[in-house]
Amino acid sequence: MGLFSRKSKVGQVGRESGLGITRKYKLAPGRTYIVEESPPDISFDAFVNILSTAVDGSKKTVGLAVSRQHPDLIRQKYGLEATPIFWLATRAGEDVISPTNLGILTNTLVRFIVENQEGVVLLDGIEYLISNNDFNKILRVIDQVNDHISQSRSLMIVPVDPRAFSQKELALLERNTEKLGSARKSP
Amino acid sequence: MKILVVDDSEAFRKLMIELLVRAGFHDVIEAENFDQGLEKFKVERPKISFVDMILPGKSGVDLTKAILLVDPKATVIAMSSIINKKMIRNSLETGAKDFLLKPTNEIALSSVLQMWSD
Repeated sequence: MGLFSRKSKVGQVGRESGLGITRKYKLAPGRTYIVEESPPDISFDAFVNILSTAVDGSKKTVGLAVSRQHPDLIRQKYGLEATPIFWLATRAGEDVISPTNLGILTNTLVRFIVENQEGVVLLDGIEYLISNNDFNKILRVIDQVNDHISQSRSLMIVPVDPRAFSQKELALLERNTEKLGSARKSP
Repeated sequence: MKILVVDDSEAFRKLMIELLVRAGFHDVIEAENFDQGLEKFKVERPKISFVDMILPGKSGVDLTKAILLVDPKATVIAMSSIINKKMIRNSLETGAKDFLLKPTNEIALSSVLQMWSD
């Protein structure tokens, strides 16, 4: 049985075209970043900015997003054309991951990280995952994916709405991860 | 250093001013459309102008062109609440130095200021 013998949804991963703008987020590879915010504006801005910019003549990186927001809305707002985006939903579909199927979610993220050593993962919708499972199960998913992140030059961005978690849960989420940004809400 | 913020949303202008003040930039002027923006630029000559690409009437790209006609060395940063690649490329070709996604935040804004305030 291979690492990806269980079902994973990662297919062709493409690079976004460059925008000619500067890199605004200096995030270290091999790390997972928790962003306490709602809505997840900083997380998406960082994700798109990293995918759309190259640093010091290096190749642009590739990304994968998982979100409770519909992929069409994300593509429309953030101009993402080549990046795979998976919708966390209970409907059937090719780019849909059920919130209760944590095996497929984990395998999709891990496979992307293993196959794209300098990739960027955006995992949005933690609150929705927890409402369909329990906190400890989701924490195990994040820890498992984070282990693979740590062994690669990939990075993961995880927005969390601090209002949806207890202090203890936030502390557990932030264990072995970095914190990015503030919880400031803008108009 | 003087900074100009041009955006038709008063709430967003207030947010930008708050973020700029927090970053140590206290000399901030604001405008809500092309005419006000160009007038304030001519009078105040800010070092950096943050210009929303979508303004009522003439666009942010038009304002970027007009500002650079007045002062070809001016630093214009384009802003928009969506990433429309064609529009961003158009604004950079017009002479804008960089792009900021709205609503912005302290990290992205500080990075832009650090890059372009020297």
